Amino acid sequence: MQFGSQRALDSLDIEVPHGVTGLVGANGAGKTTLMSIALGLRTHSAGSIKVLGLDPHRDGARLRALVGYGPERNVLPEDMPASDFVKHFAEVRGMPRSEAKGRASDALWLVGLGEERFRALGTMSTGQRQRVKLAQAIAADPRLVLLDEPTDGLDPVQRDEMLLLIKQISAEYEIDVMLSSHLLEEVERVCDHIVALDAGTLVAQGELSALIGDTEMILVDLVEVDDQPDAIDGVERRLRAAGFDVRRDLNRISVTGADQRATLDAIRDSVAAEQARLRRIEVGRRTLEDLFTEVRR
Amino acid sequence: MTAEIFDRGYRRFEGERSGVPGAMRSLAWYTTKSMLGIGRRGRHKIFPVVVAVIAFLPTLIIFGVLALFGEGAEGLRPEYYEFLGPSETFGFLVFAHLLYATLVAPEALVRDRRDGMLSLYLSTPLTRPTYVMAKFASVAFTMAIVVIGPAMLLLAGYTIQGRGPDGFTGWVEVFAKILLGGLIIVFVYCGVSMGVSSLTDRRAFASIAVILTLLGLSIVANILVLEAGMNDRLLGLDPLGTPFEAATRLFGDRGIDARNLSTTYIMMVAGGWVSAGFGTLAVRYRRLGAI
Repeated sequence: MQFGSQRALDSLDIEVPHGVTGLVGANGAGKTTLMSIALGLRTHSAGSIKVLGLDPHRDGARLRALVGYGPERNVLPEDMPASDFVKHFAEVRGMPRSEAKGRASDALWLVGLGEERFRALGTMSTGQRQRVKLAQAIAADPRLVLLDEPTDGLDPVQRDEMLLLIKQISAEYEIDVMLSSHLLEEVERVCDHIVALDAGTLVAQGELSALIGDTEMILVDLVEVDDQPDAIDGVERRLRAAGFDVRRDLNRISVTGADQRATLDAIRDSVAAEQARLRRIEVGRRTLEDLFTEVRR
Repeated sequence: MTAEIFDRGYRRFEGERSGVPGAMRSLAWYTTKSMLGIGRRGRHKIFPVVVAVIAFLPTLIIFGVLALFGEGAEGLRPEYYEFLGPSETFGFLVFAHLLYATLVAPEALVRDRRDGMLSLYLSTPLTRPTYVMAKFASVAFTMAIVVIGPAMLLLAGYTIQGRGPDGFTGWVEVFAKILLGGLIIVFVYCGVSMGVSSLTDRRAFASIAVILTLLGLSIVANILVLEAGMNDRLLGLDPLGTPFEAATRLFGDRGIDARNLSTTYIMMVAGGWVSAGFGTLAVRYRRLGAI
């Protein structure tokens, strides 16, 4: 995908399974452009794409009747009641008029705005507006929902609620969700799969549990004390001598071995032998941030 | 007596979807309501009400005077086409059209871009062409009420009073002329208003630009021809008067200022204004709205 001489997306080979998929990357990584192509609103300059088995460019109108979309922009018609807004978009997405009113109401109840549904959008908080955007995206019973930064502008409590809602929509109603976010931590919490982009290229894709989680590495934090000035160096030396892969970062030692139990035993023995002061010992965990850091290296 | 809580809850939809026609219908109806201020605060209803009063009041007064004074008021009886646009007798009617084209019609396009709704619409079965067509249908329909409505009301009033056209054929002929003449005016004003409105996201700017195009060019064209004595063909630069002149020609009459211009030229110029307006709209919307 190119904008003039600027290549927005390059060499992407992505397969997105059912469930909640996180589209992650920094601002400008190409997340919104990818959503735009998936909706058939932009044409890719090379390659091919299928969404729900349809070509977005050729079958755009048919495809978009099956897809709900929640935009990043938070500007909505100020004087329109939430129920009218959701009902209108349910109709535009193909619901018969007789059905749209009831579905709009049901969708607003589902996102927790049942009591507020007749309020004008202009009087609603950012959190409520985000919920309204989610309601309009699901009111027409889509098979796939694309959400662009759905937690943008929300406080931690509202963010938790929104993430729970997204999880619920996917789990209870079997609606596949693709959400874009630059907040890696929230993607880790809610997504089953991820597609990670960096400057328009694919960094990683796949099941989240396979890409992040516990590793073989053990992290050891030691305390530097005056009476044992060489203790940390000594622990490091002993572990290296025992054949472990050891990395040192000031008072932190990362130790990787084939057998985690044997590694823990060796750490315990080395610390005891050097009379080092141990602050913390934990199993290393690979996060999405680590994934991006490794790629950038 | 037992109470029952009825909660259907969110559920899957197994019925048939209405597709692109349903989406266009819904958008056109929503736009019509929005422009007329239906379901919105009082201030959004002011301009549509003012336009309706200016457009329909003269017809109702004429109708009333004729009903009250009968044969004695026959001298007041205007031609049908005089109720379509800026005629000499009922020149003020053009203010209804002008107000509609400048203050009401721009709302149809500008509001969606200002509120970020355009990209949301394009994420539905609507495409840019179907979106613009639905908007045009809405603007044209409501403008037709203002432009064609008063003349049609006059025809209906005359007919009820027994003063209408002679015979069924004559009646149909007048009806068709009013409809066709009115549609020419509607297409030109819609084209100019929507074309100019597509260039800005601010309703105030759109209104100023539309009034400058319609009224400003009209004044310039008339000064060039009538005051500076330049070629009569320059009257074609007048987007306000040209479609009304075209409608007048359908009734076999000619405006005083444009009497030397051929009907073919007038029709071609009206077509040119329609093309210019909708051409601008099409070019502009080809580039707008992707998320």
